Amino acid sequence: MVQEIKDMDFSKAVQESSKPVVIDFWASWCGPCKMLAPVIDEISEELNDKVEFLKLNVDENPVTSNQYRVASIPTVMIFKDGKVVDTLVGFRPKEAIKSVIEKHI
Amino acid sequence: MTNRYDIAIIGTGPAGLSAAINAKIRNKNVILFGIKELSNKLLKAPKVNNYLGFYDVTGEQLKGQFQKHIEAMNIDIVNEKINAVYAMGSHFTLMVNEKMYEAKSVILATGMEYTKPLKGEEEFLGRGVGYCATCDAPLYRGKTVTIIGYNKEAEEEANYVAELTSKLYYVPMYEGKYNLNDSIEIVKDKPIEIKGEDRVKNVMMKNKDIITDGVFVLKDSVSPNQLVPGIEMQNGHIKVDIDMKTNIAGCFAAGDCVGKPYQYIKAAGQGQIAALNAVAYLDSLK
Repeated sequence: MVQEIKDMDFSKAVQESSKPVVIDFWASWCGPCKMLAPVIDEISEELNDKVEFLKLNVDENPVTSNQYRVASIPTVMIFKDGKVVDTLVGFRPKEAIKSVIEKHI
Repeated sequence: MTNRYDIAIIGTGPAGLSAAINAKIRNKNVILFGIKELSNKLLKAPKVNNYLGFYDVTGEQLKGQFQKHIEAMNIDIVNEKINAVYAMGSHFTLMVNEKMYEAKSVILATGMEYTKPLKGEEEFLGRGVGYCATCDAPLYRGKTVTIIGYNKEAEEEANYVAELTSKLYYVPMYEGKYNLNDSIEIVKDKPIEIKGEDRVKNVMMKNKDIITDGVFVLKDSVSPNQLVPGIEMQNGHIKVDIDMKTNIAGCFAAGDCVGKPYQYIKAAGQGQIAALNAVAYLDSLK
């Protein structure tokens, strides 16, 4: 399971991780987000020792979603050393997301 | 749990129908999405002389023959418009508004009738441009949003979005009466280009310029890469190999949507190739 992250803990989580961090920005009213969730779950199981996977509910956490200018959901951002290294907007098939994440391992 | 079909075919033109009959012959559990008229393009053809075996027929006569053929094989058409196809890995989920279907493989035979994107639309996708107003509206709370609407359904979305935004412009791309809330400003003008820097800033129209934080483009028919997120395109067509395989495993495409020439018998042939390879793909899953 991918852990939920909140505004409060966000910067700490992405700054202090020694591994790349994948954040799935989602909300309960977004259909494509619901489709993406099991896909991200599967990828997280396959890459869990190399990458950290988190999800952020944009409804409950407006600070982070504003800070990173999330304009469409689902958005998947990949952080490395506290910086965004890749952004994927919209649903993508599993292999497409996995291959982008693997570039940063 | 929803019934999971072997093959979902999207489109009832010659490519989709040929795929359907071949999949049925191979005894697969098929669902075919399309329209009762099969294909509007077929109905409009005054004379067809290049479909082998049918000389000197009208498009309507050819359509009649296709109709008889699928009826004889007990193939039904599900008259529903697929909004999105999600490749979930082991299967596909096909969305029809709130309803969904599942299939192990998909054949896209959607033709080439989608609305061309506006200048800047694809460039700013996800950076202010969106296709699902109800999905992304809460991200524009208190901001200015422009909706470019190609059909009546867009009005409902506009009314919903207007409750959250501080200002909503509605640009109708069709004639008629608009059932919109009073707070919405209707702009009867032709959009030319969506502009900005790192994000959307304005919509340039023929006669005026709208400053806006976001633009939603709500169309009747979307391009294949909107319909199937992640599908690879090439020169405006779905990229396929000689087996009609797309870049997504289990997803095939046939007919005009994969490229020129736009011809009936070529579409039918490709539909057959797609169906047979979908069957081979299903066998490989076992």
